[in-house]
Amino acid sequence: MKNFDYLEPATVAEACALLKERGGEAKVFAGGSHVTILMKQGLYQPTALVNIKKIAELKGIRFDPAEGLSIGALVTHRELETSALVKEKFPVLCEAEREVANIRVRNMGTVGGNLASGEPLTDLSQIFIALDGKLEILGPNGRRAIGVEDLFVDFYTTSLAEDEILTRVVLPPLPAQSGIDYIRFSSSSVVDKPCAGVAVRLTLDQKAVQVARVVLGCVGPTPARARRAEASLTGKPISPESAAAAGKIASQECSPTDDLRGSAHYKRAIVGTLVKRAALKAYERAQESKK
Amino acid sequence: MKKAISLKVNGMERSAEVEPRLTLLELVREQFGLTGAKLGCDIQVCGACTVLLDGKPVSACSFLAIDADGREVLTIEGLSDKDKLHPLQEAFMEFGALQCGYCTSGFILTAKALLDEFAHPSEQQIKDYLAGNFCRCGCYQEILQAVKEVSSKA
Repeated sequence: MKNFDYLEPATVAEACALLKERGGEAKVFAGGSHVTILMKQGLYQPTALVNIKKIAELKGIRFDPAEGLSIGALVTHRELETSALVKEKFPVLCEAEREVANIRVRNMGTVGGNLASGEPLTDLSQIFIALDGKLEILGPNGRRAIGVEDLFVDFYTTSLAEDEILTRVVLPPLPAQSGIDYIRFSSSSVVDKPCAGVAVRLTLDQKAVQVARVVLGCVGPTPARARRAEASLTGKPISPESAAAAGKIASQECSPTDDLRGSAHYKRAIVGTLVKRAALKAYERAQESKK
Repeated sequence: MKKAISLKVNGMERSAEVEPRLTLLELVREQFGLTGAKLGCDIQVCGACTVLLDGKPVSACSFLAIDADGREVLTIEGLSDKDKLHPLQEAFMEFGALQCGYCTSGFILTAKALLDEFAHPSEQQIKDYLAGNFCRCGCYQEILQAVKEVSSKA
């Protein structure tokens, strides 16, 4: 690893100022699990790391009935996995976290770092997008909010400017009669990054689907909604046939590549199956939530 | 360029002058002579470099030493009570839960963190917790038995 300056700002504003001063030569250091590996491999050679770990305003998980669940950028995967509040409001996140990487990475890696790294092999992003989550971003020009899907531009590339810091994720309260499911598929070891990960969220009006979110991860440069699959599920009840049809559509809406986790052809087939299963499960949960 | 840090290692106050790029694994092995934690994959996958930081398992290969300033580190060398081995160490011997031993310190420390968090974990909880530690000699069944044995006596 090449040497670098280690800077420890006390506030987000200070951190942004340092990033601006270094003009793209500095990297934000949150959990550090992503950035240290890439630095050891020589893929990143920043002249400085801006350690934001001690900034209190980036920590903590809170719930506000109007705003929803707020997850600070520095919340670790393990905190999310074991939080009683998250388990009560969005248990799907705790279930998904159980399978993210391994216990050491979950102890170290943060939610904000996971998003800001632009890593294409994701779990959380699909769930956040399916829940219509928003990201709050702070920079020298003030605060802005974007949809989670709009963060991702390309492989390891996000829409964050070099002097901006992602401060928190906000998940609005789910409307009545909603259900969500996330399924991750690993083609090798369980602790490997996923081969594909699919989130489906449905909100019903009586028996018919009013809002559908079908979000595909790991099968393209960024996590992305399968909008044609969503349209095919909307306006009617879900049956095993319609779920399978949506899966087929979604499998054509992604752009997987051949790699050690499977061929593109194989991944498309997996996506089809995961969308079908997740849609049926989300539908079941949405119907149960009515009671 | 170097910065002075102080941290608690195996219960003792230690200090060091470190460059920001020094990893926690390099610090404990090369400056403190604690060679129980091993360098394996170097990408946080195998678990051979596991140490406990404030009681939680982390990959020392990818943790910056400078970031451990003011914190508490436990390596395998600090686990026994002088000559009295920790129950996990005894159980690993009893069940033959190692062959070459390269992964052992990582497995034992991860298992310790597990048992500190859940005194009586289910078999599935043990498997989930230890899934990120690799044993290339394939002693997984024996490791599982050893951890179960210790938790059953707790």
